[in-house]
Amino acid sequence: MLEKEKLRKADVFTSIVISLFGLWIISEAFKMPMKDSWGGVMNVWYVSPALLPLSIGIIITLLGLMLFRVALKAVGFKEFTNTVRWLLSGRMVGFLCLDTSARFYAIAVLFLTLVFMNLPRIDFFLDAVLFLFAFITMFYFYDDALMKKFLLFYLTGEVVFIIYFALGLDNILNEIYPFATDWLALCFLAGYVLYVRTSVRRNPDLRKRYRLALIVSLVAPFLIGPIFKYFLLVPMPKEGLVVAVLDYIWYLEFL
Amino acid sequence: MVVLEQISTYFHLLAETALDPVNIAILFGSVLLGIIFGALPGLTSTLGVALLTAVTYGMSADRAMLCLLSIYVGGTYGGSYSSILINIPGTAASAATALDGYPLALKGEAGRTIGLSTTSSAIGTIISMLFLVTVSPIILHFALQFTSFEFFLLAFFGIMISGTLTTPDLVIKGWISGFLGLFLACVGRDRLQFFPRFTFGIPELDSGVEVVPVLIGAFGIPQIIQVLKTQIQVGNVQKLQRIIPEFKTVLKNIPKVVRSALIGVGVGCVPGIGEDIAAWVSYGAAKNTSKHPENFGKGEITAVLSTEVANNACVGGAIIPLLNLGIPGSPPAAMLLGALMLHGVTPGPMITFEHPTFIIECAAILLLASMAMWVVGITLAKQVVKVLRIPAPIFMPIVGVLCIIGSYSLGINIWNLYLMLPVGIISYFLAEMGYPIAPLVIGVILGPMADENLRRALMVSQGSFWPVFTRPVSLALILIILWMVLVQFPLVKRLKDGAVAKVFRKRSRK
Repeated sequence: MLEKEKLRKADVFTSIVISLFGLWIISEAFKMPMKDSWGGVMNVWYVSPALLPLSIGIIITLLGLMLFRVALKAVGFKEFTNTVRWLLSGRMVGFLCLDTSARFYAIAVLFLTLVFMNLPRIDFFLDAVLFLFAFITMFYFYDDALMKKFLLFYLTGEVVFIIYFALGLDNILNEIYPFATDWLALCFLAGYVLYVRTSVRRNPDLRKRYRLALIVSLVAPFLIGPIFKYFLLVPMPKEGLVVAVLDYIWYLEFL
Repeated sequence: MVVLEQISTYFHLLAETALDPVNIAILFGSVLLGIIFGALPGLTSTLGVALLTAVTYGMSADRAMLCLLSIYVGGTYGGSYSSILINIPGTAASAATALDGYPLALKGEAGRTIGLSTTSSAIGTIISMLFLVTVSPIILHFALQFTSFEFFLLAFFGIMISGTLTTPDLVIKGWISGFLGLFLACVGRDRLQFFPRFTFGIPELDSGVEVVPVLIGAFGIPQIIQVLKTQIQVGNVQKLQRIIPEFKTVLKNIPKVVRSALIGVGVGCVPGIGEDIAAWVSYGAAKNTSKHPENFGKGEITAVLSTEVANNACVGGAIIPLLNLGIPGSPPAAMLLGALMLHGVTPGPMITFEHPTFIIECAAILLLASMAMWVVGITLAKQVVKVLRIPAPIFMPIVGVLCIIGSYSLGINIWNLYLMLPVGIISYFLAEMGYPIAPLVIGVILGPMADENLRRALMVSQGSFWPVFTRPVSLALILIILWMVLVQFPLVKRLKDGAVAKVFRKRSRK
């Protein structure tokens, strides 16, 4: 949580957002049937589906305004204008470039790319290994410069994937060559592993951590994944190259 | 006669559960996992219950409860390991334990302190179990006479009290968080007229937001971000000597044990607030009534006893409103509610009709879990402590993968992930801004109950609110809610403080 003084300054702005959100809920609630007929049923106000959303919208707006009053009283109008000036100045960029902010970006990027990009399109096991290895190497070395370097490499790879999927190349290539997207992901994973290795090769302590990161990233998905896939019978979000190999082994298809 | 029948059912269920080797394996495995989740700073029992909910999907409801309640009990106790050995509370529930537990460990009494926390936690859980079986029939008797107005007001009260008591900053923020949760519960087709609300034409939103992925997102993602962003590195782990159960200390302090257990159960019964508050209240009570309050914070053994009894007694306390009224008493209990719904058990006043032995079964599970926790705590503590050496950047990403696969597997729907992640990131920002997460979760859970019952009640009364004032429970609830709101206004606050001061002055003169 932020410090109290910063918190109050932030409250001034968040309270505005909350009040606006409350107003939006009210406006949406007014679009719901209040006294009109819906599905052949004539509405009265007290059974209307708008009743609770409308009440919530009003309460959130009021609470937002109360918070605004409390925060503004604590901060003072002069300090509030100073904060607005700070937000509009270049110093805001400096805050966004802080190491703690960079760590947040790294976590957000890793999760967002995994959920919205990789999981629906690339084999689950490859996604999990890449996610774990990238995540662990970015944070386990406790070096923000290295983290930024790895994040940049990871982002570049993901941008390539975005272009690849946006152009529809995955459909074309998968038809020509089975699991083409998974092979591409495997190449990216291998590239990332090599990049991390070359970056830490001169530091014996980091080399040890790199090895541990690699082991954990490889072992954990192959412990968690099969429990869900073969014991709980949950199909993976995307079953590709690795799942095909695992199925081959699990169902003894080679016999 | 009915009491005897209930007691025989209890022992029958206890024996049935304990004699099944699969159940025993699940029991010990879950307790151990819970202790590990509790011990590792950054992981909580809520997260443990959330992640394991997905694994229990293929189990029967009673076996799932055995697994999840054991994790809950183990997780609440496990936090004391890191509090005592490294001065970093594994969970918020054990923060109060660190105040005196760590100084004791520094004095070379880590084994004794861990032993005492193990025995105290087991006793706390057992006492709360006794309350669960004795208080439940009384609550159920009254709850069966509740009408829709009472249920709506109970849900509303749950959100308000949770917002009031869990907020780390302003009370308004707790309420905003609760109403944001209530808003999330409105998403989807409403249950009375099937009108799509806030669905934006997206068919996946028609059935509303799935509770479990929202809970996993709200509790899991902010935790991962906070731990890795701050890069907390675990310090030196204090050496652990032989674990001594410390029965003597417990026997010498029976009044303190009873008081702490009562505090734990009482706090647990209040919707949405959890073990951390129980532990702090108990710590405060122990300090205020001690003959040597100056020793608190310097390694007072009764402080550890009080906090550990209270936080584990809170487990049973939190289950009382959950099973009888469908209102979770703590964040892990909210997760349990989600899990119960997944298994087709709807907690509330009808539970004794739909699943006649369910509450007694939960009580039997609590007893078994506390015994398993004691055995694991006394015999395996030295091994479990080794997990404290695992750095957060190694296990947090694995927790991330578990959050993802867990959310996805409940319903085998990738849409759950599209919901879980934004909820998680928004929850992180809310937590950073001083908004508590528990009321948001309580709002999501109690939203449908509030919506349906409000409209049903108004339908019966033809739009009149008058029945609220004619029924004692609803009148009491509305008065408490009004008091909670009014007391936030400076004028009322001043009047209240003045009146309280006057009463105390009069008493001191007497």
